[in-house]
Amino acid sequence: MIELKNSRIAASISYILEMAIFLCLATVTGYIFRMIKFPETTIVLAYLLGVLLTARFSKGYIYGILASVISIFAYNFFFTEPFYTFAVNDPSYIVTFIVMMMTALLTSTLTSHVKKSAIQAQEKESETKALYLLTNHLTDASDMHDIAGIATKIISTVINCNAACLCFDENELPEKTFVQQISPEKQIYRDTENADEIKCKTEELQTGYYTDTEFYNWLIYGKDSVLGIIRIPANSAAVMTEAQTRLLRAMIESTALSMDRFILAQQRIKYQEETVQERYRSNLLRAISHDLRTPLSGIMGTSEMLMDMSKQSDPRYELAKQIYEDADWLHSLVENILSLTRLQDGRLTLNKQPEAVEEVVGGAIHHIMQRSPEHDITVKIPSDLLLVPMDAKLIEQVLINLLDNAIKHTHPGNEICVSAINDEKRNCVIFSVADRGEGIAKEDLPNIFKMFFTTHIKHADAQHGIGLGLPICDAIVKAHGGNISAQNRKNGLGAEFIFTLPMEVGSK
Amino acid sequence: MSNLGECILVVEDDAQIRNFICYSLQSEGYKYIIAKTAQSALNLLVSEQIDLMLLDLGLPDFDGIDVIRKVREWSEIPIIVVSARDQDKEKANALDTGADDYLTKPFSATELLARIRVALRHLYRQGGNRQQASAQIGDIKIDYDKHLVYLDSNEIHTTPMEYVLLTLLFKNAGKVLTTSYIIKEIWGVGYGNDTQALRALMAGLRRKIEKNPAKPRYIMTEIGIGYRLMNE
Repeated sequence: MIELKNSRIAASISYILEMAIFLCLATVTGYIFRMIKFPETTIVLAYLLGVLLTARFSKGYIYGILASVISIFAYNFFFTEPFYTFAVNDPSYIVTFIVMMMTALLTSTLTSHVKKSAIQAQEKESETKALYLLTNHLTDASDMHDIAGIATKIISTVINCNAACLCFDENELPEKTFVQQISPEKQIYRDTENADEIKCKTEELQTGYYTDTEFYNWLIYGKDSVLGIIRIPANSAAVMTEAQTRLLRAMIESTALSMDRFILAQQRIKYQEETVQERYRSNLLRAISHDLRTPLSGIMGTSEMLMDMSKQSDPRYELAKQIYEDADWLHSLVENILSLTRLQDGRLTLNKQPEAVEEVVGGAIHHIMQRSPEHDITVKIPSDLLLVPMDAKLIEQVLINLLDNAIKHTHPGNEICVSAINDEKRNCVIFSVADRGEGIAKEDLPNIFKMFFTTHIKHADAQHGIGLGLPICDAIVKAHGGNISAQNRKNGLGAEFIFTLPMEVGSK
Repeated sequence: MSNLGECILVVEDDAQIRNFICYSLQSEGYKYIIAKTAQSALNLLVSEQIDLMLLDLGLPDFDGIDVIRKVREWSEIPIIVVSARDQDKEKANALDTGADDYLTKPFSATELLARIRVALRHLYRQGGNRQQASAQIGDIKIDYDKHLVYLDSNEIHTTPMEYVLLTLLFKNAGKVLTTSYIIKEIWGVGYGNDTQALRALMAGLRRKIEKNPAKPRYIMTEIGIGYRLMNE
């Protein structure tokens, strides 16, 4: 710091000396002109030249202005009558002084200004060059550490120090090591000294940088997070000029941009891979399901036809019936896989419309009764028309799946009850499907909505389930913004499935 | 209902299902012609005397909807559409384009034959042009002359709208009617597609003729498609 002050004083002294020399020269020239009887105006011009030269070779406006003032007095002192006094005999000289003063001031300021602009232009040019160099190299970078390395190298060259760069990982935490330039050609990796503290400081940071014992740390801000830190050694950072700081900021900005670009590209590749995989998966499933569906329809139709052709006492009737039932089971598996793929794709768009609860419940029951006419299903719904926003086809599917379960676990003649209640307090409709089966085992309760879960507590004659029906219900109800849950009935045996649908159309 | 040996065009590309359909038709005494593509179906419709068409929506060459549209340009023959389960939009679309009914795979022979019977019956009724004085389905009876509806021989009061709806369903008994078709028939073309008004009207009618509207005996809801009055 003291050195800096000294150098400044030395510069001022040399400028003042320069000014004195130029003005003395002007005075001497003035004497020569007067001796060879040149007009007085030439003397004025000699002084103006002196002012101009002072302004040209000194820094800032101050010396130029000083030179113009001094030259007026000198002209007054040496060349106007009475000589060697500051008095003036001829008042017209006053005008000469004023014009001379103004001209001198203007030329000196103009010169200084031109000079300053030239310096600025030079600075700008070198800044642009440095930035260009940086971005040019950054485009070749293949990963985050490459970017950090290039930024470190170029910043070190431009600022003329041993800069370093610490990258942050995906979780916005400082990495374990950071890269530092130790000579123009060599970079080393150093251990990050105190990651938690760095994290803490970056979060609290109000200004552009913070300092620690060794470095001044500038943060690299990405689009939505901190991507890393550029570290400039404290001794170099302290003497950085304004222009250098500006340049450093610009360089950090381009580093941030290129890091951002890299992260985005990486993300895009990841998403692309994911979507391609996902598409393959669901296309495959869909193709398989579709190709299974058509022959299964044929098998079901043909076996049904065979049943029609044979008498019930005929053993062939039983065989055909077995074929039909197995094909039916396989068919519902295929349908379930299809719906689940569609639900999980997220490609399913809910076609939400106000639908009458009675129609959806009625549709589901009609569907079930066609398959299992021996069961009796009780229905309890509000007597008033109740319109609920929903995708009717999907909610019908939920009810069908739940009723299907109920029928599987309930003997014909035992009660199965479907009900819907309008809960005005919670602004939703509560559907319930309750059966009188054996209920759900306690250890199964938390898992029944998981995919491919079927109970391990099997009954000898129980039909084997697929474990897809309830996950489908879960996915559909959740897509509607509702909830589904299962419980055992309090009064007696049996399970009860309850799901809610919100009443307002807007909620999703 | 006796069978007059009507000729049915079966348009289906899957051999299994085609065999099954043809066998069912044969066992009921219908004649049938097979087409494996939409183009050959259209050709056969021109060259042969055909009374009804069974049309699979997923044909290799044409979209089923286009076939229906083309046929409807010059023919009124009943068309029953056969489709997979996840094609609700296509089904409703096919019905609005001019198909008379639909079947979802897998379907049973009984279902198939019932749909064919209904479609053919409507064909004859159109041809007969005879306005009946009354009609009865189950316990419901409509007296067209007096504009009265009876349930179990007891007169029930219906609003004019409900009466129109009920007669519309009666005239198309056994057939599925799309919501947009019903709305057009009851409120007219300019009414748009206000399904809520129809739902409310339907709920009112059901409360008068059904014991339990959520377990209907007569008016079935075909979710995503429309309504069907059961007559068998």
